[in-house]
Amino acid sequence: MKAVYRAFLHEFGRIFTVRPAFAVLVVAAAIYAAYYPQPYVNEALRRVPIAVVDSEDTTASRELARRVDATADVAVALLFPDMASAERAVFARDVHGILFIPKDFERSLLHGRGSPVALYADASYFLVYQRISLAVTAVAWTMGVEIETARLIGAGIDPVLAAAASDPLPLTAVPLFNPQSGYATYLLPAAFVLILQQTLLIGVGLLSTLPDRPAAAGAAATVLGKLLAYTALEALVIPAYLVILPALYGLPRLGSLMTILIMALPFVLAVGALGLLLAALFRNALTVQLAMAALGLPLFFLAGFSWPAEAMPQTVQMLSLLIPSTSAIDGLVRIAQMGASLSQVARPLLTLSGLAVLYAAAALALESRRRGTRTGR
Amino acid sequence: MPAHRRGFWCVFWRELGWLRRRRLLAGLAVFVPLTLLALLTAIFSAGIATRLPIGVLDLDGSPLSRSLIRMVDAAPDTEVALRVSDLGDGRNAILSGRIHGLLMLPRHIERDVQAGRRPEVVFFYNTQTMTTGNLVLRAVNAAVPAAAAGLRLSLRTAQGQDTDLAQAALSPIPVQVHALFNPTLNYAHFLLAALLPAVLQVVVVTVTAYSVGLDVETPHRLHILHRLGGGLWPALAGKVLPYTFLFLMVLGLSDWVLFGWLGLPLRGNGALLLAGSLLFILAGQLIGMLLALVLRPMASAVSIGTLLMAPAFGFMGVGFPRMGMNGFAQGWGMGLPGTWYLLARIDQTIRGAPAALSLKPLLILAAFVVALSGLIAWRLEAMRARRRRTA
Repeated sequence: MKAVYRAFLHEFGRIFTVRPAFAVLVVAAAIYAAYYPQPYVNEALRRVPIAVVDSEDTTASRELARRVDATADVAVALLFPDMASAERAVFARDVHGILFIPKDFERSLLHGRGSPVALYADASYFLVYQRISLAVTAVAWTMGVEIETARLIGAGIDPVLAAAASDPLPLTAVPLFNPQSGYATYLLPAAFVLILQQTLLIGVGLLSTLPDRPAAAGAAATVLGKLLAYTALEALVIPAYLVILPALYGLPRLGSLMTILIMALPFVLAVGALGLLLAALFRNALTVQLAMAALGLPLFFLAGFSWPAEAMPQTVQMLSLLIPSTSAIDGLVRIAQMGASLSQVARPLLTLSGLAVLYAAAALALESRRRGTRTGR
Repeated sequence: MPAHRRGFWCVFWRELGWLRRRRLLAGLAVFVPLTLLALLTAIFSAGIATRLPIGVLDLDGSPLSRSLIRMVDAAPDTEVALRVSDLGDGRNAILSGRIHGLLMLPRHIERDVQAGRRPEVVFFYNTQTMTTGNLVLRAVNAAVPAAAAGLRLSLRTAQGQDTDLAQAALSPIPVQVHALFNPTLNYAHFLLAALLPAVLQVVVVTVTAYSVGLDVETPHRLHILHRLGGGLWPALAGKVLPYTFLFLMVLGLSDWVLFGWLGLPLRGNGALLLAGSLLFILAGQLIGMLLALVLRPMASAVSIGTLLMAPAFGFMGVGFPRMGMNGFAQGWGMGLPGTWYLLARIDQTIRGAPAALSLKPLLILAAFVVALSGLIAWRLEAMRARRRRTA
């Protein structure tokens, strides 16, 4: 027990005295907290510019264009008489969509015929495509329902029945947990978990590869003491990252700090132990840094958060469970953002606990073997 | 191999020899990026997410509610994976991560529709995971009005309207939506194609900082490199160009997978694409070299390179477009070679834009290369002056 405490104190002190490790574990974590969220802090994409090609310029066509322009998501930036010049504007990225209103738009409406319009939306950026297509179809739908209702009333049908006949089964879509569909609210809680993993992984890798005069302790006590030191550090970093930071960026949070910490404990242990393993594998501080540098982005998408795990090949799904961030992002986001209870995140919690045991045992085995060869020499 | 002769080729061949002998260097420059690119390709290989699980709370159990459920289940995006008996069960299933959305069909829905009381169908969907949330919403958004269209038709014919006329009046303003440049909304074409260069950019900057750092970390080593190259510029060119070719090959290989195997359309100008790739890699290498020349020890250069480049993808405006960003993020994104490369790349692959439109991003990349070379020259001059003073 005393040996564990010695190893703990020794490693905890090194976090703050070994400069490269401190730079990654504390300084980099602080810089990322300010730097990483910048692209997303505006939350929503508003007033995406589109062009309108109005082939007839009537009251009805102008009304449609006006209503599209009045939405929060889309702005009518340019008017063109023909498609060719509108297409050039799309290629030049001056606009990201074209609403084409054909000739006879108004006449067809007045005669009670279907009066289609065409929307060309830029799908080389999915968020842009989604904004434009949702906004324009909603406007056209509402305007269509109004026209149809008015026409039925004009035909002498009871207004209540007319409304029912135009839209007999209204669909109400209720977005949960991120009601404004904010991009920061969606991305940052998951990204913060990944940043925690990457900084801890590299930091532990550096601590264990840079020169050290270890405290007098056995293999088990050393591994345990080190893991405790990382846990003590993260007991400060995690509330800052998963509670204070989201509050500063105005992200909603439903989960309690206690539940978050319970979920985070096996995560920190698993990442810490994995860091010890990587250090044993790479053996050199620079190699740890270089090998880990580009890993963040692939691991983020591997986590099945931004791109559904259901769409990944089975083997990739299985392998992804070996990376702590996969279960941690799933569990922590569901707890903190969605308010899930511990029993609802039992699967990621168990997976992380399993990883923690597995990696800690492997780190212990490596540490014992290393000592064995050293004393044998 | 003219190893005894000094000059560009001497350094060039020495570097290739290092790459053959030093497993770490070769692993970092070739094996790591290829593995990461293969992993990303595997993740996005399906391109389209289908049959995402949603739940249904059917309080009516009528022929109408069953046909609604069938239509939602038949949509390619969604699969009705779970029937729940009350809202609490549904909430639990969403919080447990088993379903991405819950469709609630109220009691007496069929009776109320027939009576014209407009019963409300509610779809709860999880927007914390935005991609899946939007996909399941899209499916339900299409399926429910399609079912309603049948109802509207029967409501009208019941009122004695002619069937043809009723059909035409069903949707007075139908919108034919065309997804430009990516008609199937394939994520591999949209995201994977941009992720691969973003990952490579991190590798290019950090590996160059490392490999150049090996030769410039101390004045003595820089002096040796200088002598071997018969001048600083040939020495640095010989140092960097072997990696330029390696990185180009890595990028070419991943593009071969993208365009050949995953069917990404190559609608643009191949020469422009190649020129853009070359300038993009050179710019990344020069950033790495500058970091190695400015920061000591070399580990700091690698750290700062990682710190700058690892989060760069968000600033390049693929997932969240740049026009929606704040001023800082827009400005910072302009300073990243990847932002301009992705513009040219997207233009010359899926968009098939006129070549003239890609000249601006290519010229900016070229300006990066020139400006970074200038900064490197300035830095080397300063180092030489300092050496003279101390000598």
